[in-house]
Amino acid sequence: MAWFSRLRGLFRTKELAREQDEELQFHLSMREQWNVEQGIAREEARRDARVRLGNASVWRERMSEVDLMILPRTVLQDLRYGARMLGRSAGFTTVAVLALAIGIGINTAAFTAYKAMFTRALDARDPGRMVNLALILHSGDTNSWLSYPDYEAYRDHMRSLSGVIAQYPEQLTLSGAGEVVSQRSAANGSLMARWGLLPTGTAASNVEFASTFAVLKNYFEVLGIAAFRGRTFEGMSKPELAASPAVMISENYWQRRFGADPALLGKSIRLNGVAFTVIGITPRDFVGTSVVTPDFWLPLSLEPLVHPDEHLLEDRENQCCRVFGRLAAGVSMSQAQAEMNLLADRLRALHDSHSELAKPVNAQIWAGSPFPRKLNAGFRLAILLIMVAVGMVLVISCANVASLQLARVASRQDELDMRLSLGASRLRLIRQLLTESALLGLLAGAFALLFSWGLLAAAVAKFAGDLPAEYGTLVFHVNPDLEVFAYVFGISLLAGVLFGLAPALESSRSALSSALKANAGTAPARGRRLRDLLVAAQVAVSLVLLIAGSLLIRSSIHALKMDTGYESNHVVDLDFHLPEGREYTAERKAAIARELRTRIVALPGVAAITSARAPDGPGLRWAAISINGEKPTDHNSQAYLYYTCVQTNYFETMGIPLLFGRGFEAQQGQHEASVIVSEAAAKQLWPGQNPIGRTVRLGTDGQFHPQGEFRPDGPSYEVIGVTRDTRGEMLDNSDAAQVYVPMPEDRLGDHPILIRTQGDPAQTMGAIGAAIASVDPNVVATTSTLEQMLRLTTPFITAAFAAAIATTIGLVGLLLASMGIYGTVSYMVVLRTREVGIRMALGAKRRDVLLLMLRESTRPVLAGLLAGMILAVGASYLLRKVLYGLSTVDGVSFGGVVLLFLSIALLASYLPSRRAMRVDPMVALRYE
Amino acid sequence: MTRTKGDNLQGSLALLVLKSLEQGPMHGWGIALHIQRISNEVLRVEEGSLYPALHRMEQEGWIAAAWGLSENNRRARFYRLTDQGRKQLAVERENWQKIIGAVGLVLGFGQA
Repeated sequence: MAWFSRLRGLFRTKELAREQDEELQFHLSMREQWNVEQGIAREEARRDARVRLGNASVWRERMSEVDLMILPRTVLQDLRYGARMLGRSAGFTTVAVLALAIGIGINTAAFTAYKAMFTRALDARDPGRMVNLALILHSGDTNSWLSYPDYEAYRDHMRSLSGVIAQYPEQLTLSGAGEVVSQRSAANGSLMARWGLLPTGTAASNVEFASTFAVLKNYFEVLGIAAFRGRTFEGMSKPELAASPAVMISENYWQRRFGADPALLGKSIRLNGVAFTVIGITPRDFVGTSVVTPDFWLPLSLEPLVHPDEHLLEDRENQCCRVFGRLAAGVSMSQAQAEMNLLADRLRALHDSHSELAKPVNAQIWAGSPFPRKLNAGFRLAILLIMVAVGMVLVISCANVASLQLARVASRQDELDMRLSLGASRLRLIRQLLTESALLGLLAGAFALLFSWGLLAAAVAKFAGDLPAEYGTLVFHVNPDLEVFAYVFGISLLAGVLFGLAPALESSRSALSSALKANAGTAPARGRRLRDLLVAAQVAVSLVLLIAGSLLIRSSIHALKMDTGYESNHVVDLDFHLPEGREYTAERKAAIARELRTRIVALPGVAAITSARAPDGPGLRWAAISINGEKPTDHNSQAYLYYTCVQTNYFETMGIPLLFGRGFEAQQGQHEASVIVSEAAAKQLWPGQNPIGRTVRLGTDGQFHPQGEFRPDGPSYEVIGVTRDTRGEMLDNSDAAQVYVPMPEDRLGDHPILIRTQGDPAQTMGAIGAAIASVDPNVVATTSTLEQMLRLTTPFITAAFAAAIATTIGLVGLLLASMGIYGTVSYMVVLRTREVGIRMALGAKRRDVLLLMLRESTRPVLAGLLAGMILAVGASYLLRKVLYGLSTVDGVSFGGVVLLFLSIALLASYLPSRRAMRVDPMVALRYE
Repeated sequence: MTRTKGDNLQGSLALLVLKSLEQGPMHGWGIALHIQRISNEVLRVEEGSLYPALHRMEQEGWIAAAWGLSENNRRARFYRLTDQGRKQLAVERENWQKIIGAVGLVLGFGQA
């Protein structure tokens, strides 16, 4: 334990010193006495004793080196000295700490958020035993959603799981809860709505929505969660529930919507018109198997009550539910997976023969998480983009501080020379400089920690506040996390040491040679090259970020302005849901739909209406197409294409021009066996040939269709016309290829109504609510223009979101880079004061000096811009998938950003350069 | 009277000290005197350098130190051999014998 006693020695240095002294003194006096005993005179004996001992202070120092741990003591010295040096140049310290803190803070925030979001476990007691259940399909896709009958099979037969639960999210209308609170319009102006993350549009009738999770009775029991107040569904039998429907409310919604009214328990509210009794309140922020706490939890067995027309509980093909389980004691995940595999194999026979689930599947069981195993590709791209961008900011801030550090060390050359000539070793000097850097890093780390927590808390509050109550409450804890804390400290220390290393090596080397003082007062050439390199690197990296940001912004603007191929500003989409239940027979529904159409046509400002899915709306359908007259199968299909059921006046109403052939001509009641195809579809089916007069057959087996929807399978259709392509919602534009199928008259009620308006669509949208209410107040409808819907499509969201993030981060990079340029040029001016003095004494004009300074400082900026542009070409090549209708080398983005950067860089170097002009030659020459 | 400096003697100093302490606990002065006497005054260590060496050997755990009273009733730091020190003595002794043997071989070369 030598190191331990040496460490302990540090705390008793005085005592040790006394003991060492005593030991030596004892030796001296013993030798003296011995000498006297040998007959030497006392004076001579004492002198001889001292000579024989040697230099006592040297021996004491050697003993200290043995007895004490020297390193910590000198480290403490370094720290004290470093802190003093940092305090003396407060300006430098502030800029460096700030720059580094921004870089580290943004990174910490991004990683904390990522960790908090995607590595979170299920909200349960002992979450380590909870697992997700999913199937890997024959096609290789992972299916995280299972149908209710399948769920029941797993629940009843799996021995390796002690409990299996399912969750089915949906939105229901809320009534009987006092005054209607319309949340959707409030969200229209919010940030999330602008990014297309929330549907905008307006609820046409006075309807309030609430988010619900339909769950199994045993849900709370398996998760191990008790009700905050009241009770859970546990112990209520199915008939009991059916007789008196019960619902649980989340604490968050109870606070938000009902002001925490204690009297709500036991009262009844209506969901989709059905009365439910509130029997319990779930604990605050309880999210169960999701990341959002819903407004209500209702028993899945009551699903037929709120949706009488759907048969969710019997439909084996409707993959409605996420399924989770709790491992039984002593069972491993792979054992459970093996058991599930056997079951899945048996369930295959029960599935529709065209279903993917009838083919061989593989069970997959993994650690419980609210997220599906594979995040979708767009999401992953966005996350990657953010991570790369924040990483680049860290690079910029480190380069920034390194260049500042280098400049500062250069200005401290005299001090370093002094210390070297007084006998400090080069290693000792490097250690001192590194200590200062590390101190800087730690200081920045501390600030970064505060900064990132503030940033996260603000962001979470903003998003949570923006989410309307009808989507539930986002629960996202960004509590301080020990791992992230370690991460920040690790990064800040590493960054501190890394950026301190280069200047330290550099300056200690030049300190040796500059004893010659040949070029004192000008920067050593090697130091300047490194500094220029660092400035250039900052400029290049932040240029890439800014160009990427600008490309994405322009692309999202472009995405909105680009010709869609149809009229989007003056067409309103009216999406309506007819009430369900026994009272609403098919005839009554058809009558309501007819009546709605008549009322809407009569509204002022309405030019025409047609029933169809909006080109940029939800509900895309696709089918296998054969062109040889046979029923399409996997073998004889020419292509898989999207199709849309349309009324005969669809093309006129939407403003989609017919290129050749003719439009639909069928009269009322007649059914016409003809289709119209888009240009892109024609090209795919009959490349280079005239499609008019040819026939197609459509097959929708195995493709997704809600129950009861019209399927265009069966007859041969004759192609009678070709229309221009329209732009839809697919990122790759694959839905431009469309087959338009005539809609049977009795199917009008299944589709939204598209309304072509003459004047301002807002006026028409305002009048629709009353018209619908006068037909039947139970019809739930929302309206939005096609323009608004366009903003909700994937390409737009991806572009808008990426643009916002890349630009924010790019601006931070620009800020950091200008700080770096400013700081570096400032120090350069100080360093060259003497040189400038000589130049001016020799007759240089102030203008010449300014030009010299600007020339010197813009050189690395220009080099950085050049490198940045090359990198940006590469970056935009990678981004090409989300760039909408822009060439990857977009002149405006590149030129604009480079000009912006250049002018900011010039300004950042002009300000400190001005100081050089004001140098008084006399003062400068006396500067030494 | 040879005054040898250098690594070799540094190494042998440890051997001498350990060997001296085999007799029993001693203070620094006692060790110095002992070596001087036993070696017929040939080996004389630089007296001050003895102390950093003693402290280093203490940190190595070969010897242990404690304050006690000297023969003339003064406070002195006494060193004694530890078990580890005894093992080290054996090692050092063996090393020394090897070196002596090797030097002997080199010197004896060509004389036979």
